[in-house]
Amino acid sequence: MNPSITDAELLVEAVSHEYEMRGNSVKALDEISLAVPPRRFVGIVGPSGCGKSSLLMMMAGLIRPSQGRIVLDGVPITDPVPTKIGVVFQDASLFPWKTAQENVEFPLELQGISREKRKATAEVMLELVGLLDFGGRYPHELSGGMKQRVAIARGLGQDPRILLMDEPFAALDEQTRMTMGHELLRIWDRTHKTVVFVTHSLTEAVYLCDEVLVMSPRPGRLLDRIEIDLPRPRTYEMMATEQFGRLRDRIWRLIRTEQTAP
Amino acid sequence: MIAAGLVVAWELAVRGGLINARLLPPPTAVIDALGNLLAEPKMARNISVTLAQALLAILIACPLGLLFGIALAENRRLAQVFDPFLYFAFSVPKSIFLPMFILAFGIGFGQKVMFGVFSAIFIAVLTTEAAVNGVPQHLVRAARAFGASRTQIYTRIYVPAMLPSLIEGLRLAMIFNITGVIFAEMYASREGLGHMIAFWGEYFMLPELLAGITIAAFLSIVVNEALRWMENRVGRWRE
Repeated sequence: MNPSITDAELLVEAVSHEYEMRGNSVKALDEISLAVPPRRFVGIVGPSGCGKSSLLMMMAGLIRPSQGRIVLDGVPITDPVPTKIGVVFQDASLFPWKTAQENVEFPLELQGISREKRKATAEVMLELVGLLDFGGRYPHELSGGMKQRVAIARGLGQDPRILLMDEPFAALDEQTRMTMGHELLRIWDRTHKTVVFVTHSLTEAVYLCDEVLVMSPRPGRLLDRIEIDLPRPRTYEMMATEQFGRLRDRIWRLIRTEQTAP
Repeated sequence: MIAAGLVVAWELAVRGGLINARLLPPPTAVIDALGNLLAEPKMARNISVTLAQALLAILIACPLGLLFGIALAENRRLAQVFDPFLYFAFSVPKSIFLPMFILAFGIGFGQKVMFGVFSAIFIAVLTTEAAVNGVPQHLVRAARAFGASRTQIYTRIYVPAMLPSLIEGLRLAMIFNITGVIFAEMYASREGLGHMIAFWGEYFMLPELLAGITIAAFLSIVVNEALRWMENRVGRWRE
């Protein structure tokens, strides 16, 4: 199904997921298979409740699939693999009792890395996201966009090969969101991680990604994989082009047809 | 300023004959009585007895409250059974059980401590349970994603997230505890600050009574403010 499957970084193999709600079993994901090639920026879009976030949490090793498996370097993921996979959460999930700098240091601290090394790494990461001067601030002293920058710095701190991002800019206003998207591309360009980016914004998906995976409403299935052949670096002007509009329209049609179908 | 003004107004009102000095002695008389009381070794003994009872009671109530609170927060079935009971127990005035405590434990030091524990433990359990349940699960999830072990999740996430609420609980428990201990002393006792206050009231010794009230209020305020200061210090990160 995918030509790059042989050299894939992360493989999702026939993953289904069911969970219990008020005694009923709800099927969230239905036999999803996909491959994430190395150093690619892969988007996952779909209507809310389609299980795209659950899928990402499974890649992070935080939820176990009911069936199927997710494979990294030939080994199924059952628990978090923090040295290889970094995660950025929707709500930033910064520890409010830690400063920005301490938040970025936290994953390194868990690995038992020395104080000086932690500090040096955290400073490099804060510099990368443009917040070097804000290391001493507590999360409640930062704006929504700044919190997400800290979360990105924290996610990259252990130098993982893969960065999983769960609707990281969903809570931000439109303008901040655009700026953050641009920022993320700049950071990605300097680090070249493999990124899996879950979003419900089609514009964001087309603007950021190399390819976009489109999911159906619950139970989530993979509808299509759309190659975003826009040149890089991406610019704001591209959003006004016909090619951009066509790509976004293609994704929209896929999602809409599925939703209106009986 | 306002407090000082009120004291002056009180003094003037008594001297001017607006208030009967036998019912409400002037502040100068109260201050005199306070000075005399504090110079008496018997008074120091009474104060230290009360403080020792309150301290011992809180040292028993808080670890117990912490233990039960965590158990209830971690075990849903246990919580379903005991939570309603706890809420009822919390809403009932503890003072109505005092005669039973006297029957069971007498009127000595131990009985005051037991009643202090009884007065404070419910709030200690409830605030601990709420503090555990209030730890944001998305932060636990984030810590897990970064490779935190079970122990690290408890020490690095649960403890700092709960600490400000726990100190707030300790402060509330302390208020209930002191109230319980002093009330028990007033009801039936041979020593303690509460016992003296009840005695002065009975014998119509108003300057001493008001001086005793001042001492009890002062001690309570000092304890409360110290804990509030701690709470603000460890909770600086809260908005």
